[in-house]
Amino acid sequence: MTALDEAWTVSRLARMIKGRVEDGAEPVWVRGELVGIKRYPSGHLYFGLRDATSKVDCTIWRGVASRLRTELIEGAEVFALGMASVWEERTSLRFTVTQVLPAAAVGAQAQSVERIKQALLADGLLDPARKRPLPAFAARVVVITSVAGAVVHDIITVARRRWPSVELLVVNSAVQGETAPAELVRALHIVSRLDAIDCCIIGRGGGGKDDLAAFNDEAVCRAIAASPVPVISAVGHEVDVTLADLVADVRAATPSQAAEFALPDRHDVAVRVAGLHTALNRALRNLVTARRARMDRTRDRIGAALLDQLRRSERRLLTVQARLAPALSRAVDTRRSKLARLTAQLHALSPVAVLGRGYSLARAGDGRLLRQVADLPAGTAFTLTVADGAVAARVED
Amino acid sequence: MANAPTLGDDLQRLEEIVRRLEDETLELETALQLFEEGVGRLKAAQARLTEAETRVRQVLDDSATGDGPLRIEPLGG
Repeated sequence: MTALDEAWTVSRLARMIKGRVEDGAEPVWVRGELVGIKRYPSGHLYFGLRDATSKVDCTIWRGVASRLRTELIEGAEVFALGMASVWEERTSLRFTVTQVLPAAAVGAQAQSVERIKQALLADGLLDPARKRPLPAFAARVVVITSVAGAVVHDIITVARRRWPSVELLVVNSAVQGETAPAELVRALHIVSRLDAIDCCIIGRGGGGKDDLAAFNDEAVCRAIAASPVPVISAVGHEVDVTLADLVADVRAATPSQAAEFALPDRHDVAVRVAGLHTALNRALRNLVTARRARMDRTRDRIGAALLDQLRRSERRLLTVQARLAPALSRAVDTRRSKLARLTAQLHALSPVAVLGRGYSLARAGDGRLLRQVADLPAGTAFTLTVADGAVAARVED
Repeated sequence: MANAPTLGDDLQRLEEIVRRLEDETLELETALQLFEEGVGRLKAAQARLTEAETRVRQVLDDSATGDGPLRIEPLGG
């Protein structure tokens, strides 16, 4: 407790209260019933939000009030987005509202999304089996988005880093607002008319998280499902999953992530190509080495076979020779004894041998044998052969 | 464009060529042919990797339904 001489001023108290309420405060959605709506000539709007036990005074400043699309109706249930604040002059607490949505409409919208989801489900369009794989090496990618937003820039940035050879085709479309559903359907139709498209990114940048309606539109969802090329949704919101996300082949949180899904990283591909280069060279080298080894083996086998054959021939030769030698000598022996016998016979018949027994041969000068007296008239000269030689002789008168 | 072999085709074929070359019973003549084809496809793949320009163009159609003649023009041009 403070002493009297340290008493606070009123404005200090007011500032303290204001600080306690406002410092670190964040916008919150509050649901309640609208009461005591007053529009002041200044353009500011005042009203109360009430539930069964409490009431809070609310203000909508002129600038916000003029853009407010929801008509405020006494007694209506609404969602109001705002922050608690303190008006210093009266130290009165106010909930400063920046947005109002009729609870009935919110409920109706939620009901409508659920109804569309059931319809898509019934038609099998949310079946995980329908989801198509993305191409491994996209060459041509279409982006459906608003060219006024940052999506195209974000995707180009990723493409230049990961896969610069890609060609990007942009189809402009509003991605929020009343015309968005029809424009998105039209853009998807244009994509279906293009040739050689690898995949399609449909999306919007971050932006207001309140207007995802186009991506919950039934016609948009059915057009995505009917796309001839795989579709990546990039609605730019982490938390809220739209029906378009459910129908798309791949859901990306942001356009940059969509581009990363759509495009390979050239460094990874370069590593793969280098690996194939090495593998190709190695495969050929191995093949040649294996072939050479096989040739060596073949040569060895042929050599061994030849040698083997040679040895077999040699062995056969030796065997034949061994069998042949005794046969030969037997034949020689037989002939040799026959020769001896013949020689003896010949010898016995030889006139020379007869001469040895004392006979002699008389031959004329011309070698003719002189066999009878008539062959030897007186005075005939002749040769007389005896055992050890020949002598000249003459018949005497 | 759709007829030319894509990078994916080239890499797939290269893997097949390497697989076939790993078969030691392959005819040497066939092996050399495959090797030469592989070298060609490697060069094509490397060329694709070094392509540097990201082309960005806009598809335009003046009809409300998207059924009119399509024009492809430089983005913002």
